[in-house]
Amino acid sequence: MRRSRRVRALTALALGAVLALAGCGAGGRPDPGSGGGAASGGSTVGITADSVKVGSHFPLTGVAAPGYSEIPTGTKAYFDWVNAHGGVNGRKIDYVFRDDAYNPTQTSQVVNELVLQDQVFAILGGLGTPTHGAVLDFLGAEGVPDLFVSSGSLLWDQPRKYPTTFGWQPDYEIEAKILADHVATTFPQARVGLFLQNDDVGEDAERGIRRYLDKQIVSVQRYTPGNTDIGPQMSALQAANADLVIGFNVPSYTALTQLQGLKLNYRPQWVYSNIGADPVLVGSLLGRFSQGQVTDAALLDGMITDEYLPRADNPSDAWTAQFDAIWKAHGDGGALTNFRIFGMSQGYAFVQALLAAGPNPTREGLVQAIEKGGTRFAGPWAAPYRFTADKHSGISGAKVVRVTGDSTTALGPVRVTDNGDAPITDATNGETPVPPNGIPAAPGGT
Amino acid sequence: MLQFVNTLLTGLGQGAVYAAFALALVLIWRATRVVNFAQGAMAAFTTYLALLVVESTGSWWVGLLTALAAGLVLGAGVERVVVRRVGPHNELGAVIVTLGLFVALQALAAILFGAQFRSFPAPAGLEGFALGSVTIALTPSMLITVGAVAVVLLGLVALFRFTDVGLRMRASAFDGEVARLLGVPVGRMLTLGWALAALVGSLAGVLIAGGSLVWPAYMDTVIVNGFVAAVLGGLDSPGGAVVGGLAMGVILALVTGYVGSDLVPLAALAVLVAVLLVRPQGLFARTAARRV
Repeated sequence: MRRSRRVRALTALALGAVLALAGCGAGGRPDPGSGGGAASGGSTVGITADSVKVGSHFPLTGVAAPGYSEIPTGTKAYFDWVNAHGGVNGRKIDYVFRDDAYNPTQTSQVVNELVLQDQVFAILGGLGTPTHGAVLDFLGAEGVPDLFVSSGSLLWDQPRKYPTTFGWQPDYEIEAKILADHVATTFPQARVGLFLQNDDVGEDAERGIRRYLDKQIVSVQRYTPGNTDIGPQMSALQAANADLVIGFNVPSYTALTQLQGLKLNYRPQWVYSNIGADPVLVGSLLGRFSQGQVTDAALLDGMITDEYLPRADNPSDAWTAQFDAIWKAHGDGGALTNFRIFGMSQGYAFVQALLAAGPNPTREGLVQAIEKGGTRFAGPWAAPYRFTADKHSGISGAKVVRVTGDSTTALGPVRVTDNGDAPITDATNGETPVPPNGIPAAPGGT
Repeated sequence: MLQFVNTLLTGLGQGAVYAAFALALVLIWRATRVVNFAQGAMAAFTTYLALLVVESTGSWWVGLLTALAAGLVLGAGVERVVVRRVGPHNELGAVIVTLGLFVALQALAAILFGAQFRSFPAPAGLEGFALGSVTIALTPSMLITVGAVAVVLLGLVALFRFTDVGLRMRASAFDGEVARLLGVPVGRMLTLGWALAALVGSLAGVLIAGGSLVWPAYMDTVIVNGFVAAVLGGLDSPGGAVVGGLAMGVILALVTGYVGSDLVPLAALAVLVAVLLVRPQGLFARTAARRV
């Protein structure tokens, strides 16, 4: 009897420890109650005469963390820089980002907390399709501006249903259209294989690709994130004699496809979407697989991808030089990476939107300012936004590039398009000059 | 044809790892009559230790030895410190404790080693052998995996069939009271069983990590498929575990290659249900499975 009680006590203790650990993983968040943040005419929640509070969620731990966890450090450095230069209309930006481990349940928790407890004015750059998708209804119902979601899904462009949500990066459909158009004109004889993530990334991409390459596609293979055995899919692509493969996948699967290609001696021309193609990150994953037998980015040399932001390894670019100065002043001492430039560009975009909303922004005013002037907002991004009252899609184009070593070479001008059967054309906007101190001026003439 | 051969070879390579993992489950079942759900998390933990050693020494083999030694210690420690306290007649309790250990160890690994993807070096080349003009999906690393599994299988069979220690371990597991009366040091045999099983589990962990990515939960699919493989072969039979593991590897590779990767978890479940319905004692078990 005594023994069994002791056993029970120990079991309870062990369970308690497990729960406590699980709690740590989730951030140990209590379920926040209701209240606060309700939107009624001209909500000024989270904004005062000298501060504005901005929140976000990112995978700082877990499978999606490599690379992506660096994005908010870039945004933070940019806001610190802006604050050091007097803030936005005298307001200092208070930026809070929390870890959701790329788990939609945790995203709901942390966004609840950001909105109801921290009382943020807006959410900026929340990352991930499944994760951010889980909080759309909540943010819409609370009337919280949900700006510049870090994902190329088409979900963010539903102004009727989610009037406060805006996309940011080129969506997967137009990215796929631009890459496929390049392939169709440059490799008209290629037998094209597709390697797609088995969710709406892959679906949106396939729709865009088929507009230009439908007749050239010989095999479509999909992978489920988490299952790292992609041998059978690669064998199928090889068996179909695909000599050019377009991959819409995350960076770790870029590494896995290269590794599997080595195993099968299968070396097609690879075309990866921007999300999976960071040569530095993929190279670092690949480099150590076989104790140096696979040398860094050598496998990636010659692959084709696209870009819509300045690159960290290109200091001759005026924007990169500016971001480098900001990172040196306010960064954490690590290297300036493409992911950090992504985060800084989002910070820039937010400051620009806040300025457009006038000297006394409200949540509604911010949304209206973006719908009204969004297509004219210019910055480090390659092509203009598509923001209007009827459309909340972000950047409209990208340029196709070839990876050479750790860097890239442009294969043509920036190309712009829109969803559906919109044609693809060369961009006419030209490069945006860097404003003084890299801080946007209030847009005029809206 | 080449696609079929390559899919088959990929499946066999993957299956060899499932087999190693299933062998660990069989070992602990035969030695203690407990199914150890923490096996995967323990293996992930020792694999991380191996990765640290590989990165500092540059030698995959030193890393493997570290993992095996760490597995031995970890297995013995878990039995002495945790499982023993649940009591000898509380098998369900022991299983639940292993589930708790699974979550706790995985979280601990994330805290100690970080939660990001890391690449784990391979023991040998990652390029497939060339037969004339075609390259088949068989690499030197895969041969090492298969060889290691074969050695473990033979070792286990020899241990249980031809040695006194193996006989004592079986006796302790089958009926501790009687074995104790006959002079078998039952406690020590249970500790030994856990230690050996953790050693085999660590081997599986390092084998699957080689030339791929590791993160704290990377063993999760191996746990599920290795468990199905062990049930498929009958939890009692080392040979059955190996056949079950290879069968699982091939079935799942064929499903991925010819049906769709999203059906893989469903296929594993279907195999498990089919085996439990048609032949609950497994394909190779000589005695009927114990009903609990």
